[in-house]
Amino acid sequence: MKRVISELLFLAIVTTLPINAARAQRPAAPETLIRNATVLTVTRGTLQNTDVLLRNGKIAAIGKNLNASANARVIDGTGKYVMPGIIDCHSHSMLDTINEGTLAVTSMVRTEDMLNPTDVDLYRELAGGVTTLNLLHGSANPIGGLNTVVKIKYGRPAGEFLFPGAMPGIKFALGENVKRSSQPNQPGVTRRYPNTRMGVEEVIRDAFTRARDYKRAWDEYREASKREKNLIPPRRDLQLEPLVEILEGKRYVHAHCYIASEILMLISLADEFGFKIKTFQHVLEGYKVAKEIAAHGAGASIFADSWGYKIEAYDAIPYNAAIMTRAGVVVSMNSDSDERARRLNIEAAKAMHWGDLTEEQALKLVTLNPAIQLGIQERVGSIDVGKDADIAIWNGHPFSVYSRVDTTFVDGEVFFDREKDLARRPELAKERAALEQAEPNRPRTQGPSPQTPRRRPSKHEDDDMEVEKP
Amino acid sequence: MPKIRSRLVVASALLFLFAGASNAQRSAIDTYAITNARIVTVSGPVIERGTVVIRNGLIAAAGANVTAPSDARVIDGTGLTVYPGLIDSYTNLALPEAAPSPSPGGGGGGGFFLLQQQQRPAAGPNSTQPVGLQPEVMVEDVIRPGGNEIESSRNIGITTALTSPRSGIWMGQSALINLAGESPQQMIVRSPVAMHVGFTPLRTGQYPGSLLGVFAALRQMMLDAQRYRDSLQVYERAPRGTRRPETDRSLAALIPVIDGRMPVVMLANSEREISRALDLGAEFKLKLIIAGGREADRVADRLAKQNVPVLLSLNLPRRTTAALPEADPEPLRVLRERVEAQQTAAKLAKAGVRFAFQSGSMNNISELLGNARTTIENGLQVADAVRAFTIWPSQILGVQDQLGSIEVGKIANLTVTRGDLFDRNSRVTNVFIDGRPVDLRPAAAGGPGAGRSSVSGTWTVNIKLEGQADQSITLTLQQEGERLSGSISGPLGAGEISNASASNTGEVRFTVSVNVEGQTKEATFTGRLANNEIRGNVAIVGSAPGTFTATRSGQPN
Repeated sequence: MKRVISELLFLAIVTTLPINAARAQRPAAPETLIRNATVLTVTRGTLQNTDVLLRNGKIAAIGKNLNASANARVIDGTGKYVMPGIIDCHSHSMLDTINEGTLAVTSMVRTEDMLNPTDVDLYRELAGGVTTLNLLHGSANPIGGLNTVVKIKYGRPAGEFLFPGAMPGIKFALGENVKRSSQPNQPGVTRRYPNTRMGVEEVIRDAFTRARDYKRAWDEYREASKREKNLIPPRRDLQLEPLVEILEGKRYVHAHCYIASEILMLISLADEFGFKIKTFQHVLEGYKVAKEIAAHGAGASIFADSWGYKIEAYDAIPYNAAIMTRAGVVVSMNSDSDERARRLNIEAAKAMHWGDLTEEQALKLVTLNPAIQLGIQERVGSIDVGKDADIAIWNGHPFSVYSRVDTTFVDGEVFFDREKDLARRPELAKERAALEQAEPNRPRTQGPSPQTPRRRPSKHEDDDMEVEKP
Repeated sequence: MPKIRSRLVVASALLFLFAGASNAQRSAIDTYAITNARIVTVSGPVIERGTVVIRNGLIAAAGANVTAPSDARVIDGTGLTVYPGLIDSYTNLALPEAAPSPSPGGGGGGGFFLLQQQQRPAAGPNSTQPVGLQPEVMVEDVIRPGGNEIESSRNIGITTALTSPRSGIWMGQSALINLAGESPQQMIVRSPVAMHVGFTPLRTGQYPGSLLGVFAALRQMMLDAQRYRDSLQVYERAPRGTRRPETDRSLAALIPVIDGRMPVVMLANSEREISRALDLGAEFKLKLIIAGGREADRVADRLAKQNVPVLLSLNLPRRTTAALPEADPEPLRVLRERVEAQQTAAKLAKAGVRFAFQSGSMNNISELLGNARTTIENGLQVADAVRAFTIWPSQILGVQDQLGSIEVGKIANLTVTRGDLFDRNSRVTNVFIDGRPVDLRPAAAGGPGAGRSSVSGTWTVNIKLEGQADQSITLTLQQEGERLSGSISGPLGAGEISNASASNTGEVRFTVSVNVEGQTKEATFTGRLANNEIRGNVAIVGSAPGTFTATRSGQPN
């Protein structure tokens, strides 16, 4: 009930925004019937020779010999696999900037302001069966910026990407990135505080202490303003407001971390202030403290087998997902990379190899589990009637390296279609040839060579670099 | 007292400068008539053959049946067309090279100080905010009459310009100026016109250091301004018994902005930049204007619906670089952008979005009308192109009663051409500003058709390196096409330049060995030729960066 109210509230807010006027005007997604496919439901096992009906952006029916209306598109799924859209719980795609690194606490910045809906990485991710991203701020600060959960509606305005009803969240970070250990000391340049893990803890404790005081100041003002008229309200502080939301349980914390001691530190700090960590991100030593993570109720969002790229990333093992899963932690596999995001299916498959997770457990690592971690498990993450029609059709089992995606649907609409992509290529070549002949594109006879466009490196490993796309 | 004295000294020095630089014609004549001319009134139909009478700085009469008064100096306009003076709706004209500072007189003029000023945005005194977040900065305080840039703009028929601070996030407040006059007071038509917002992060290591932070900082300051306004109101209602709010010039300057009384010009070119600006404007109910607007056509519906006008840059993107065999092909996106930018104006006009043309700090202002012609070739109606230089900017900038059309009582800013304004072969023959004729330089010096200018010759180069005294060296350049050769001599040593190039848009680049701090080091000069001066940056391997200014000391042999 509470959820319904908050969704209604959200809708009420959303509909007042001009961006969303456009969304309302879009015609409903066409009806699609996928016939005779192998359906990886995630929640109810694998269904052979099964039909899936997508209607009005939702999964309308799952079963044998389903009927569709006359104008529905029918796809022959014989030999194909239908899988829920993959959810990447740690992405920086489509963000023009990922780090505000000047301060140790940047909870006032919002990744939602940075969305670039034309980022080609999004299309590549759709081609890997990914439909939902958790766009996180970088890891330059103990308390970073606010995240954004999006559906990959490539080609649409940024406002249409926002995942309706997703829980608001925030990025925290611990360890080497935030104490700037990779930044050399420069003469005359004051290093940003903190420089040690002790300092990181102090920064977070200080911020929440300020947030508590801030909340008290507002509560007192609201109380006093009932009696007194000429009161000047406290200053609204965009840095502290999200922290108050965390204390009130209205905002999820996604905490970048590596080593066991800092994980325990953050758990006890959260306990001290009475809030929960929703996910530990990377959490390479999570297997050492899996019980403690499970007891706190936190999830873990990890790499399958990426490690050793810095000192704090040495003590990692490939059994991390399996050990934490068995300890009762909700585990997901994320990309933190525009490149790895295209093959999260294989990352999930590795957990079957290392640690013998079942196929369903492994599938959950990139579907239902990240959905739970983002508070969207009622909408996506499995193939169940009533859920959003965010699915991908694969030409083989998604855990095979030889499989690839044929079609990706988001809200029942096709956003990637391999055949169409291939068919369009000659047309694009023609367009390029024509454009190159256009006057403003004709090269000059001499001069410096063209600059290759500056791009954020795709393998950022949660880097704390300040890099902007042009 | 010392401060007052130094201000007086500066003031008198400035006065002296103005007197010296002035080229306006002081004469008793203030009545002019242009007869037998084609008159594009913009506000009404075109008068094929008529007379415009100027008196006392204003348009006194215009029409087919108007006769020249007996005391008027008559200009025979046979074969000429009279337009309202063109308005360039976004420039940095009349501003000193160094960033504007509202406290002239402060600081002594050392080289280092100048360098600092050039790199930093404007600073307001006693501000609570870091440089770059000071909305109280006003260009009005630093406008200087005269100069080559103003002259170049007048030569192509621009009589009025919006001039805005050069940099910053809250960049400050702009002024609309006429491009003639002996003092800032004579030039300013309206000030402040708008608040200006840029989204470039501070590069000082201070917050906000990224675009993320820029948005947060803009939001926080607007929230702070709301609270400041509300606190002042509470205090005004009951000064006795209320704690006095601390005064804050920066927040005070934002109150008209958040109240929707002062328009906010936001620099935004791509679709997403414009969308973000529109979102922020909607969030705080700002009276928004977009400047730049390269992809504004893609959000035309929102712009029209939210009634947000665009100051559309005519600095059209084009490929400036050569095709090298080893270079990667340019992305399709970039190729499309360049072609589509030429169509933006026509699409905005079709979608009913209000817009005005601006030069977008193009290198060579003489390309302005040619680029407008390109937008006409891409579908913009000629009449709309004229409006985008005249009546539309006057409406967007709130001076439609004074400027933008040839109507009785309006300021007598007129641009007279032989041939249609956008015709390839047209020529600006006369320009009137505030009712006075302006001397036009011969077209060859910078008018349309001037084309490439050579950097060949001998230059005196003044180099400012951070933390060091100024150095002056001699540079000799020979330009053939875009190839450049030459040598330097002076206190930094002597040697041939290498890796040298000069583009026909005026970009100059070369590398040369120099002796700095007892060592031989590689110095790379990158600069731009404008108005017979090359200005730019020096990068020396292993040393602090610097700037240079080269002035011509001799013509090529």
